[in-house]
Amino acid sequence: MSDLQRQFARAKLAGFPATAPVLFDEADEEETDHFDTGLGLGHAPAPDDDSSSASSASSTGTVIPSSDQTLFARPQGSPNKRTLNQVPWTTYFERELFLESTVDNITIIHHAYLTSPVGTAPLFVTHHGAGSSGLSFALLTAEIRKRLPSAGVLSLDARGHGSTTINPDPNILDLSLDTLSADFLVVIEKAKIQMGWDTLPPLILIGHSLGGAVITDVAKGGKLGSSILGYAVLDVVEGSAMDALQSMQTYLSTRPLGFPSLESGIEWHIRTRTIRNSLSARTSVPPLLVHNEMAGAKPWTWKTDLAGTQPFWEGWFNGLSKKFLEARGGKLLLLAGTDRLDTELTIGQMQGKYSLQVFPEAGHFVHEDLPEKTAMVIVDFYKRNDRSALVLPPKVSDLLRAGKKV
Amino acid sequence: MSDLDRAIAQLRACRPIPEAQVREICHKARELLIEEGNVVTVKAPVTICGDIHGQFHDLMELFRVGGDVPDTNYLFMGKPYFHSTSEHQLISYNCIGDFVDRGFYSLESFLLLLCLKVRYPDRMTLIRGNHESRQITTVYGFYDECLRKYGSANVWRYCCEVFDYLALGAIVLGASTALEPTQQKGPSSSRTSTQEYIDSDIEIEILGSDNGVVSRIPRGKSKEAVAQNSSPSKSSSPATKPGPPGTAASGWSRGTTGSTSGAIFCVHGGLSPLVESIDKIRLLDRKQEVPHEGAMCDLLWSDPDEIDGWGLSPRGAGFLFGADIAKSFNHVNDLSMIARAHQLVMEGFKEMFDNNIVTVWSAPNYCYRCGNVAAILELAEDGMGESAHQRSNGDVNRSNGGMSEESARVLLAGPARRYRVFQAAPQDSRGMPAKKPQADYFL
Repeated sequence: MSDLQRQFARAKLAGFPATAPVLFDEADEEETDHFDTGLGLGHAPAPDDDSSSASSASSTGTVIPSSDQTLFARPQGSPNKRTLNQVPWTTYFERELFLESTVDNITIIHHAYLTSPVGTAPLFVTHHGAGSSGLSFALLTAEIRKRLPSAGVLSLDARGHGSTTINPDPNILDLSLDTLSADFLVVIEKAKIQMGWDTLPPLILIGHSLGGAVITDVAKGGKLGSSILGYAVLDVVEGSAMDALQSMQTYLSTRPLGFPSLESGIEWHIRTRTIRNSLSARTSVPPLLVHNEMAGAKPWTWKTDLAGTQPFWEGWFNGLSKKFLEARGGKLLLLAGTDRLDTELTIGQMQGKYSLQVFPEAGHFVHEDLPEKTAMVIVDFYKRNDRSALVLPPKVSDLLRAGKKV
Repeated sequence: MSDLDRAIAQLRACRPIPEAQVREICHKARELLIEEGNVVTVKAPVTICGDIHGQFHDLMELFRVGGDVPDTNYLFMGKPYFHSTSEHQLISYNCIGDFVDRGFYSLESFLLLLCLKVRYPDRMTLIRGNHESRQITTVYGFYDECLRKYGSANVWRYCCEVFDYLALGAIVLGASTALEPTQQKGPSSSRTSTQEYIDSDIEIEILGSDNGVVSRIPRGKSKEAVAQNSSPSKSSSPATKPGPPGTAASGWSRGTTGSTSGAIFCVHGGLSPLVESIDKIRLLDRKQEVPHEGAMCDLLWSDPDEIDGWGLSPRGAGFLFGADIAKSFNHVNDLSMIARAHQLVMEGFKEMFDNNIVTVWSAPNYCYRCGNVAAILELAEDGMGESAHQRSNGDVNRSNGGMSEESARVLLAGPARRYRVFQAAPQDSRGMPAKKPQADYFL
């Protein structure tokens, strides 16, 4: 504490009874040095904190070997020493939905995980990135509901991903942006019918990577009208995504073609730091893999042929920044690195067009690596955009009309 | 040559100064700042600058264009160093990542301004921006820069302590309603004036960095217009009416000339619904980290927008406020204008709401990629005498607030404004390859 501070504190506190000084307390200062990155955030535990395992403990549907005591221990130390057992989706979601729709003689059964909203609470609708699945948002769901217990989350598996099935199986999987956006709308509509909702709850759309492009496209399309309070895009920006596409095939070729077991698949994701939160990987990785009898020693192979989706890549991200800035509703961009903005979003950000959060300590799967901090930002984002709670100060013209002096 | 002058010389050469000296300067700065009110009173002539964001060479260009300290009286409205943030605040961080040569000098930029403040306290006014906070500097690179250059976070800590003492706003008094002839401010020049005579009817003059007149707008002649010119504009609101770049001079903004103008309120962001008078700002306890909500937060985060009343700011902090709010605030506080920074303007400056507010942006080609020009705003001294300025409390001779009828408005004369527009400084390192992020899984 400097002399100046001391002097100032002394003067400031002179009028108070002799209690512990509140101002300029060194311990406080120390604490404020470790700010987390987001505005409006409190303090978050380290990424590996397995605080959300509390929710798995409370879930009756959890199928975990009873001998597995280490599940509730802190997952520290080398990943090999941790348990890598699968954590089932029932730990995080209330139910799964199979929503059938038929277009041009092709029947697609959309699979989605749902926890219903209660009363007027919002519904967070999530779309995962390419090669991922709806369970990518499992931990985020738990963390959101810790803060907003009545909120709902609807997390779908895109076509070609997770448990969504197409009949007859297409030769070429159509993963164009238009198709994915239409699927997204279908899932929301069918979920509404199946759940018997009279009207749509207030919606916050959340998309990660490719999913960010999809929800932005949906928000810009305006088909959900005023139901959308806002949309949050996780770690995707048109400019940097386009740049990264060039090296994507190289990256994909470095991935193993298969794994001897689910556990080794989970282990691979953690070891390569693709997903940096083992608890999340134990839920989100299994749906990415299928058991393939023909594959010999490594029977667990990738469900989605990512390299084969290359024809759609540019279409996913083309025009994303412009759509993001132009669509109606609150806008949140959450990035894992500060160097990812393109020029359009840099200008938009400096003009105050949207809210930006950066978690430099996270990897690309921000919401899996840091579910708690991500949830905090998203819940704050919802609260800010919640129209039912929003009370703005009166307009000057209204004051004048009421005969008040301004 | 004193130690301080030596430090200034060293920083001007873009070389960092020893940690012990940073510590000393930060302490002295705090001693000075602690004496300043939340709203500092500044007398014209003054040159008002917006965001700098640690673009050191562009700051040097600014001093070249605007005149050196202490010859010119400067007022910086926040964000001297790189910026970056959650809102906003984040972008410079951006510069740090891709544009190492730029972000490298956030520390030098901030320390130079601080040294100048300590050396010439009456010629340099610094007010706080939303990036002047621990939270944002940690994320966006200033913290890392300090660690890299000094091997510890001490310097960052000293700087953050200074942030907490920066004033929240300033009031410029005694600005003239007539422009003075321009002075060539560059040290190399021998000529003193490029213009023999200036029409006293000119309200706004726009100069290029070479002192050439880009345009002049007479008082009461120009139609309202928002910033729009030939640059590939991404200005924050759609330009609907044609007019000279950056201006919104309008017919009723003033009839008289030569009289003392109203005061100009300078703040980084904008207004707050919790602050209806300047005096309210004076009551805030500003010596703290920028809070996430409340009056202090709003002053540093809010933006003007083409709306009626107050609106939710998309930034996630602060508010949007419309013309009615700004006009009412100016009226109640006897202001002729609000000058603020905080938003990137492709043209360097932008007047809105019938000249009731101007945004000044002083970081050219922001982040090395945005393609914008920068501007500074010069206000001349009122030649009528000492700027003992009569300020009423807002209740004198006022009827119903003046907002109900256009014709009933009682407005103080606006100051004559000279905008100097300038481009990014030429830089040797321009060809330096941008550091590309590691190719990542990005689907």
